[in-house]
Amino acid sequence: MLNSLLWTPLAFGIVGLFLPKRAIGWWATLGAVVTLGLAIAILVGFDSGSSSLQDTVDVAWIPGLGVDYSLGVDGLNVFLVLLTAVLWTGGTAFAAFREQERPQLFFFLMLVAETATLGSFLAQDLLLFVLFFDLMLVPFYFLFGVWGSDREDGPSAAAATLKMIVYTLIGSLLMLVAAIATAIIASDGGHLTFSIAELQRQGLGEDSQRWIFWFFAAAFLVKMPAFMLHGWMPDAYRAAPLPVLVVFSGVLAKVGAYGFLRVVLPLFPDATVEFQEAILVIALASILYGSVMAFTQTNVRLIAGYSSIAQLGFITAGIFALRADGADGAILQMVNHGLVVAPLFVIVAVLVERTGTEDLRAMGGMALRAPVLAALFLIVAMATLAMPGSANFIGEFYILNGLFEEKIVFACIAISGVAMSAFYALRLYQGTMHNRQPDGAASREIGWRDGVVLAPLVLCILGLALYPQLILHRTERSVQQTVAGVTGGEAPEAKLANEMKAHDWEVTLTGR
Amino acid sequence: VSATAWAWLVLLFPLLGSITIGLGFRVLPTRIAGAIGTAAIALAFAAGIATLLSLLGEDPEARHHASSLWDYASVAGLDIKLGIFVDPLSVFMVLVVTGVSTLIHLYSFGYMQSDAGYRRFFAYLNFFVFSMLLLVLAGNFVLLIVGWAFVGFASYALISFWYRRQTATKAGMKAFVINVVGDIGLTLAAFLIFRELGTFEYSEVFEKAPHVFQTNEWTITAICLLLLVGAFAKSAQLPFHTWLPDAMEGPTPVSSLIHAATMVTAGVYLIARTHVLFELAPTAADIAAFVGLATLLIAGTIALVMTDLKRAIAYSTMSQIGYMVVGVSIGAYSAGMFHLMTHAFFKALLFMAAGSIIAAMANEQNIDKMSGFGRAMRFTSIAMVCGGLALAAFPGTSGFFSKDEILAYADARGGMYVIFTVLGYLGALLTAVYTFRLIFRIIPGRPCPEAQELIDTGHVHHPDGPPLNPATGETEDADVGFPGPDHHIAEQSWPMKLAMGVLAFLALAGGLVQVPGVDDVIGAFLEPVWEGSPLAAIHPSDLAEWEGLGVGAAISVVGIAVAWFLYIARPETPALLQRKLRPLHTLFVNKWYFDEAIDFLIVRPALAIGRFANRVFERFVVDGLVTGTQETVRGSGSVVRAVQNGFVRSYALLLIAGFAGLALYFLLTN
Repeated sequence: MLNSLLWTPLAFGIVGLFLPKRAIGWWATLGAVVTLGLAIAILVGFDSGSSSLQDTVDVAWIPGLGVDYSLGVDGLNVFLVLLTAVLWTGGTAFAAFREQERPQLFFFLMLVAETATLGSFLAQDLLLFVLFFDLMLVPFYFLFGVWGSDREDGPSAAAATLKMIVYTLIGSLLMLVAAIATAIIASDGGHLTFSIAELQRQGLGEDSQRWIFWFFAAAFLVKMPAFMLHGWMPDAYRAAPLPVLVVFSGVLAKVGAYGFLRVVLPLFPDATVEFQEAILVIALASILYGSVMAFTQTNVRLIAGYSSIAQLGFITAGIFALRADGADGAILQMVNHGLVVAPLFVIVAVLVERTGTEDLRAMGGMALRAPVLAALFLIVAMATLAMPGSANFIGEFYILNGLFEEKIVFACIAISGVAMSAFYALRLYQGTMHNRQPDGAASREIGWRDGVVLAPLVLCILGLALYPQLILHRTERSVQQTVAGVTGGEAPEAKLANEMKAHDWEVTLTGR
Repeated sequence: VSATAWAWLVLLFPLLGSITIGLGFRVLPTRIAGAIGTAAIALAFAAGIATLLSLLGEDPEARHHASSLWDYASVAGLDIKLGIFVDPLSVFMVLVVTGVSTLIHLYSFGYMQSDAGYRRFFAYLNFFVFSMLLLVLAGNFVLLIVGWAFVGFASYALISFWYRRQTATKAGMKAFVINVVGDIGLTLAAFLIFRELGTFEYSEVFEKAPHVFQTNEWTITAICLLLLVGAFAKSAQLPFHTWLPDAMEGPTPVSSLIHAATMVTAGVYLIARTHVLFELAPTAADIAAFVGLATLLIAGTIALVMTDLKRAIAYSTMSQIGYMVVGVSIGAYSAGMFHLMTHAFFKALLFMAAGSIIAAMANEQNIDKMSGFGRAMRFTSIAMVCGGLALAAFPGTSGFFSKDEILAYADARGGMYVIFTVLGYLGALLTAVYTFRLIFRIIPGRPCPEAQELIDTGHVHHPDGPPLNPATGETEDADVGFPGPDHHIAEQSWPMKLAMGVLAFLALAGGLVQVPGVDDVIGAFLEPVWEGSPLAAIHPSDLAEWEGLGVGAAISVVGIAVAWFLYIARPETPALLQRKLRPLHTLFVNKWYFDEAIDFLIVRPALAIGRFANRVFERFVVDGLVTGTQETVRGSGSVVRAVQNGFVRSYALLLIAGFAGLALYFLLTN
C-alpha cells in the first residue's frame, strides 16, 4: 500500500514525459488524484488505537551498511501524508489550468517532488529519510530556477534559487553527517543500522546527542524556515512560480517540523530536554519576527511567507513544550497551516492576474464583482489568524496550553503573535478586497477553474473547523509515546495530572 | 422536548438563516432574503420562549442543564465538547438577544431596502445573532471563546459593511484587533483555569473553584483580571473602548443591535456568569467596579460635547454599560442584568430613531445642522423622546427602575461601595443632560432645510451631486450601494414603525416587571443562578429602594431642566461655558486623548519595530550574513567561483544519479 502511494506520482511523471503537451497537465492531475485516493484509503484503514507503525514496508536495501528501505505510517505522519496528497492535487490542477512552458518537464518535476516529499514523511530509516529530504530539493531547484520569474526589485530567479539551495544544502549536508554519525556511534562497533526504531532502542550517549541534535536542528530550522535562518525565503518566494509555491509553502516547511518529531525527539531525548529552552527561544523569535515582518511587508507573497515563519514558530513551540497537548496541537497546526497557506497562494495568484501587481498598496476593492472570491478569501484569512471556531484555533490553543503548563512566560510572549496575526491577515484581506479599486485593476469573479481548486481546500478548512477531533484523535497515541520517550516518567501525562488535581480537590473537600 | 433541545434550536435557526441567505445570495430576491433573516430570528425567539417555559416547569433548584453534541477536541487530558449550558441566566440573555434582534431585523427590512448589499447584510446580521447566542449558551470556556470571537468577527464585518469607505474599513480593523486582544485575555484565563482546575466546563469550574482557591490568592485574581480584559474589550470599557465610537461607521441598525443592545453587553454577562470566581477575588471585582465607574463618568462627559449624533449615543452606551459593570462587579447581579435588558430596549430605540433622522438628513450626522424634526417627523420624534426619557431615567420609565436598583444595592452593601451610589447619581445627572441636549437640538425649533423639505413635499431630502462621506467629505464610491438611492424613514416604512413602536412601549413600561415592593419578576427568575452567593443575598430594603428612586427622580428632572435651560431657554450659554471652561472642553472633545495615547504607546512603536526589522535588520543582518559569505568566497578567486556556480548543479545531478543507482542496486539485490 505505502509502496504504491509513494511511487505512483513518480510513475505518472515518467509516463507523462512521453505524452503530448495538451494532455500532460491532466495526466499529472490524474496522478495526484490517484495518490490522494491511496492516501485516503490509508487513513480509512488507519487504526487510531495503536501507537505503533502501520502498513509497514521493511526490506533490507543496502545490507552492508545497515540501510533498510522501510516505510510506515503512524499518528505522526498519516495526516501529513494526506495533506501532501491534497495540496499536490490542488497545486497540479491549478497549474494544469494555466499555460506552462515545457509542460512535460514541469509536471514531471512536480510529481517527482511529490514522491520525494511523501518519501520523507514515510521513511522509517534515517538514511532513507535523509535521501528523500535531499531529493526534495532537486525538483524545486529546477522549478524555481527555470520557471521562476526574474524581478526588477530583486535578484534574478537563478540567484534566488541559488541562495535557497546554498542555505538548505548546508543544512542537508550537516544532517547527512549527523545521520551517519548517529548510526556509527549508536552501533558502538556492533551491527550498523539506520532504522529509527532500532537506533532509539540502542540509545546515544549524552555528549554525542548534544552536537548531533544541533546538526539535525539546523537542517530542520532552515527548511521551516526559522528566524535568522530564513534569509533564503524572501527571494525564493518572490521568484517562485505560484503553482509551485502552493505546494512548497504548504508542505515543505512541515517536513522540517515533522523531522523534529520523527527523528530528534526519539533519538536525542537528553539533548532535547537540555536544549528545550534554546529551541523555544528560536521559536518565539520566529513568531515575533515573522509577525512583525508580515505586517510591514507590501508584497502579498511575502506577507504570506513571513506569516508562515510565525506559524512554524508556533508549531515548533508546540513540539518543544514537550507535552502531549502541545505536540498534538503542533501536528494539527501543521495540517491547518498547509490548508490555509496553499489556498492563500492560489488567491494571491488569482489577484495578481486581476491587478497586474503584487504590491498590496496598488490593490484593493476586489470584493465588488467577486463576492465568491471574497467569501472564500475571508474564510481563509480568518483561519490564518486562527479565529476561534477554526481548527487553527484549536491547534494554537493546544500548543499554547501545553506551553502554558510547561513554560508560562514563553506562552505569554507567544500569544502576542496571535494579536499580530489578526492585524496582518486582516490587512492583507482588506488591502486586496476592500477599499478603493485602483485604476487598471479589474474586479472579476473567479471562474470555475479556480473554483474547483479553491473550493475543496476551503471545504477542508470548514470541515476541520467543525471536527478537529478527526486529527487529534488519530494522532494522540503516537504523540503520547513520542513525548513520553523524551520526558520519561518524570513529567506526568496530562491526563494523569488532571486526575491528580481532581484527587487533591477531593482531599480538600473531605479535609474541610 | 427538553429545555436543552429547545436551546439547540435557538442556535440552529439563525445559523440556518445565515447559511441560506449566504448561499442564495445570487438567486434570492432581496425582500425574500430579508424575510428569511427576520423569520429565522423570530423562530429563535419562539424557541427561546419554549426553553423558558420548559425551564419554568421545573423546580427552581433543578433549572440548570448541560448538553453536548460531539467531542470537539478532546485529547491529552483536555476535554473540549461542543456543549451548551442552559440556566435562567443564559435563557434570560437568549430572550433579550433574540427579542431585540427580531425587532432590529424588522427595522432593517425597511431601512436597508435600497442598499445594494441587502442580502449580505442579512446574512451577516443572522450570523451575528447566532454568534451572540453561542456566546451566551456555551457550556465551557472554549466554546465561550468561540462565540466571543465570532461576535467580534460579525461586528467587524458589519462595521466595514460599506467596504469601499476607507473610514469604515479602518474602524473595522480597529474593532477587530482590540477584540482579539480581548480574546487573548479570555484564552489566557482559560489556560490558567485549566492549569488549576483541570477542566473547561462551567459546572465543574464553578463547583471546584471555591474548594481550590483561597480568597484573593494570586491565581484567582489573575484569572479574573484576564477575564476582565476580555470583558472590557467587548464591552468598550476603559481603556479598550476606543473602537466603539468608530464602529458607528456601520449601518445604523448595526449600531442599534450590536453596538448598543447585545454584543457590547457580553462583558456584563461574562462577569455575571463567572461571579463565583469574582467573589473569590474581591480585589479583581473591585477593580472591575472602579473601571466601570470611571468609564461611566468619562464617557458621560464626552457624550456632552459630541456633535455627531451616533457617536454621542455610542458614548452614552459606554456609560450605561459602565453602570452594568459596576452592578455585576459589586454583587448586584440581578440588577445589572435588569439594566442590561432595559438598556437594550431604550438604546436600540434611540439608535433606530437616530437612523430615521439621519436618513432624513441624507446621511448627515452632525446635530448642529439638525433642528425642527418634531414637526417633520412626528413618529420618530415621539420614539426618540420615549427612548430619551428611559435613558435619562425619568420617573416611571424602564431605565428609572433598573439604574436605581444598582445604586440602591451599592448603598445597601455599605462601606466604600457608597462611592458608587454617589458618583452613580452624578453620572445620572450627566446622562439626563446629554440625552436631552440631543433631543432639544433635534426636535424643537425652526425646521432645518431637510426637515422643511420633508414638511413641504413629503419627500426625503436628496443632496445634489455625488454622495459624500460624512466623516471625511470624500466622494463615496457609489458602486457599493451606499448611500442607497432611497433613504427610509420610519414615517414611510411600516416595518420600521412597528419595530420602533414595540420598543417605545418596552422602553416606557419595561421597568414595571421589577418595581420595589410590588413585583420582582427578573430577580426571582435569576435567583437560582446566584445560589449560595453571599453578595446576592444582600437586598436593600423596599424603603431604601424607594428613597433611592426619589433621589433618582429628582436628579433626572433636574438634568432635563438643565438641558432645557442650556439649549432652549438660554441657547447662548453652551458657547459661553465652552469659552469659560476651555481646557475641560478641549479634553472632552478630544475624548480624553485615549486614541492618541494608544497610538503613541502601542501602534507607533509596533510599526517602528516593523520598519526597523524590514529596512535594517533583514537587509544587513539576515541577508548580510549570506551575502557577506558569498562575497568573501567570490573574492578569493575565479576558481572558487567556477566551483561555486557549477557546484549546485552538479550536486543536484549527482543526487539524482546516486538515487537512481541506489534504487537500481535495490532492485537487483532483491
